[in-house]
Amino acid sequence: MKNLPFLTIAAVAAMLSAPALAEYPDKALTMIVPFPPGGASDTTARLIAPKLTEAVGQPVVIENRPGANGSIGAAQIAQAKPDGYSLLVASIGVYAINPVLYKGLKYDPKKNFDLLTVAVRTPNALVATPNLPVNTVAELIAHLKKNPEKVTFASSGTGSSDHLTAALFWQQTGTTGLHVPYKGGGPAITDLIGGHAEVSFQNLGVVTGHIRAGKLKLLAVTSDKRIPAFPETPTMAEAGVPGVEVYSWQAVATPAGLPKEVKAKLESGLTGALAAPEVKGRFEEAGFEVVGTGSAKFSQFLDAELGRWKSVVEAGNITPDQ
Amino acid sequence: MELFDNLLLGLSTALQFNNLLYCLIGVVIGTAIGVLPGIGPIPTVALLLPFTFGLPPESALIMLAGIFYGAQYGGSTTAILVNVPGETSSVVTCLDGHAMARQGRAGPALAIAAVSSFFAGTVATVVIALLSLPLAALALKFTAVEYFSLLVLGLLAAVILAHGSVSKSLAMVFLGLLLGTIGIDVNSGAARMTFGIPALSDGLDFVPVAMGMFGLAEIIANLERNEVRQVVSQKLRDLVPTRADLKAAFPAMVRGTAIGSALGVLPGGGAALPPFTAYALEKKIARDPQRFGKGAIEGVAGPEAANNAGAQTSFIPLLTLGIPANALMALMIGALMMQGIQPGPQVMTEQPALVWGVIASMWTGNLMLLIINLPLVGLWVSMLKIPYRLLFPAIVLFCCIGTYGISNSVFNVWLMLGCAMLGYFFIKVGVEPAPLLLGLVLGPQLEENFRRAMQLADGDPSVFLTRPISAVLLAVVAVLLLAMLSPAVLRKRTQALAE
Repeated sequence: MKNLPFLTIAAVAAMLSAPALAEYPDKALTMIVPFPPGGASDTTARLIAPKLTEAVGQPVVIENRPGANGSIGAAQIAQAKPDGYSLLVASIGVYAINPVLYKGLKYDPKKNFDLLTVAVRTPNALVATPNLPVNTVAELIAHLKKNPEKVTFASSGTGSSDHLTAALFWQQTGTTGLHVPYKGGGPAITDLIGGHAEVSFQNLGVVTGHIRAGKLKLLAVTSDKRIPAFPETPTMAEAGVPGVEVYSWQAVATPAGLPKEVKAKLESGLTGALAAPEVKGRFEEAGFEVVGTGSAKFSQFLDAELGRWKSVVEAGNITPDQ
Repeated sequence: MELFDNLLLGLSTALQFNNLLYCLIGVVIGTAIGVLPGIGPIPTVALLLPFTFGLPPESALIMLAGIFYGAQYGGSTTAILVNVPGETSSVVTCLDGHAMARQGRAGPALAIAAVSSFFAGTVATVVIALLSLPLAALALKFTAVEYFSLLVLGLLAAVILAHGSVSKSLAMVFLGLLLGTIGIDVNSGAARMTFGIPALSDGLDFVPVAMGMFGLAEIIANLERNEVRQVVSQKLRDLVPTRADLKAAFPAMVRGTAIGSALGVLPGGGAALPPFTAYALEKKIARDPQRFGKGAIEGVAGPEAANNAGAQTSFIPLLTLGIPANALMALMIGALMMQGIQPGPQVMTEQPALVWGVIASMWTGNLMLLIINLPLVGLWVSMLKIPYRLLFPAIVLFCCIGTYGISNSVFNVWLMLGCAMLGYFFIKVGVEPAPLLLGLVLGPQLEENFRRAMQLADGDPSVFLTRPISAVLLAVVAVLLLAMLSPAVLRKRTQALAE
């Protein structure tokens, strides 16, 4: 039994040197959604998960970890092990707005995350209640200039992407309005239809039905090109307001420090899932446009978004911490 | 006769074999999650959403709707048997339902809850079919101003529903309102009283607070009470409600259904108002309000009916206007969009088979629920025969799992355990937690709507009196307050004179 220690060492060495990465993944993956079930991030995760499961050969479990505008779930991912088993599916708010809005945040999207891909995006629609006496963006601007800080802009919450879009719009046009926050987009849209609030930027997919039925007036879209469903409606730039090209987007990330092979596997699994025709079709029906451009583009895009919203928050003096 | 055409179209959709099957699946799942504390219909629907992609839209919506109102049935079961309110709406059922169970009348309580729910469900289906368009128009008239006045009325209900000292229940309401201010403020986005704890930023979750203060505190109190348990009779005669029970419960059912149907339509009304309001009304008009909280059958029938009617009429804004009345309806909109249907008022004309099919399925679903639930009464009641040493740990375990599951948060479990200690203290000093819970639920909405009303009205408080619906609601509040205060005032005066 003289060579027993040697065998043990050899066995341990073999275990250590065994390409653990080659076996990735050998257990289920967890996708953290930092919002309650049913929201846009949750829908995104649930539509991607089945295809990702096929791609990596392990089940993908979705876990909702809501709270504090998504920062609780995001902080959990920031502290998790970068082993490729924990993923974050979250929104523009978690990646690009919370970091410029809240000081005591427990995560930094640039430092704590390995960005995998932007998944989907949807433009905002500038909608107004039908009784508002404006029919174009130019008329709205004139109306706002005539009634400074009077016209009510409904949003789905202080610091939400539609609130900041409105702030950006005011800054780009030199106008002002009265921001009225609601708890989520649903009640805001209800008050717009009822005529109790006047103007809002809402995700296009959510208001399409109301626009078609004439319950809301569509003034412009914040996309880079016109939307096929509304070929008559100008983009913001065409309507004479540059720099208000805004999308609400959903993206996937992991804790920072992912091994290269794992990252490559996840990235290709995700972009593959997003490109699958049935997944794409579902997203389009739900009003999303699939992006799926991968890690490098996401990183550039996030820098641009962080910079833009930081200046909007500073210029608009939006400081929720006080 | 367009109505009959529509209903026939709906029935022909709802009675298709596969739609009946999906309806059954929905209500069975709903009953199951309702019985389990903490697991609510919202996460369940979200979880099942991807499975509905392959279904035709009407089958998907019929099944998801079944889960929602099925959960309202199931929720009352745990409330009555073990005093654990699994949903906001079943807190009120705890008050008298559990009192009945402790008197050995769990059977009639469960049966009345099921019958009331069925009655309300049937009436609400007719209400939706007949009145959805005018009701939806009314719902759009409700702005922050009207909500504020309605919520004031709701808070008054909180004071009425407690028995015993008015000052104690007022204290509890205010404590609830204070606890409700915890979290991120909707208007400014500032975090209030969170002490830097992220888990507090969305406020105290209702379910752990309710389960701690009701179910767990009750268990602690029972352990020291050494109460002789009522022998649970298995004889059928003791399981079904007596004729006197039915006679007492029927008018309460009718009133509860009316309240629930009206309040359910309002977008953002929430699950708390209909049952609480129904309970307060029953107690207010009862000849002997003392019986409430001690096993009054009207206190089960009214809120249960209100609850179920409200759950169903909350579909009206969704089906007629395409706007969600609550978080669950927002999920339903998601389900519709995934099916390629844009929510909006045009859905009713473009997809009549879908809209009327869902409406008709509510009636078939309610019938199924009654058939499922009545025979189960015996089974549930026999659960009470499980010795406490086995039953209590099981309840605690289920409560912990359920609480954790709401947002996968350990914090909520600790919150529930803390609230259990607090609830035990409340039992010891003789105050009731129900007004506190109502304050906790309504407080944030009250503040949010008040501030929004002020924002939209440019800071002019007279809007509360100049807008007609709001003025009427506030007038009702004033009358109730006077009625409540005047006997007390008079009595004090006579006492003073006597001295």
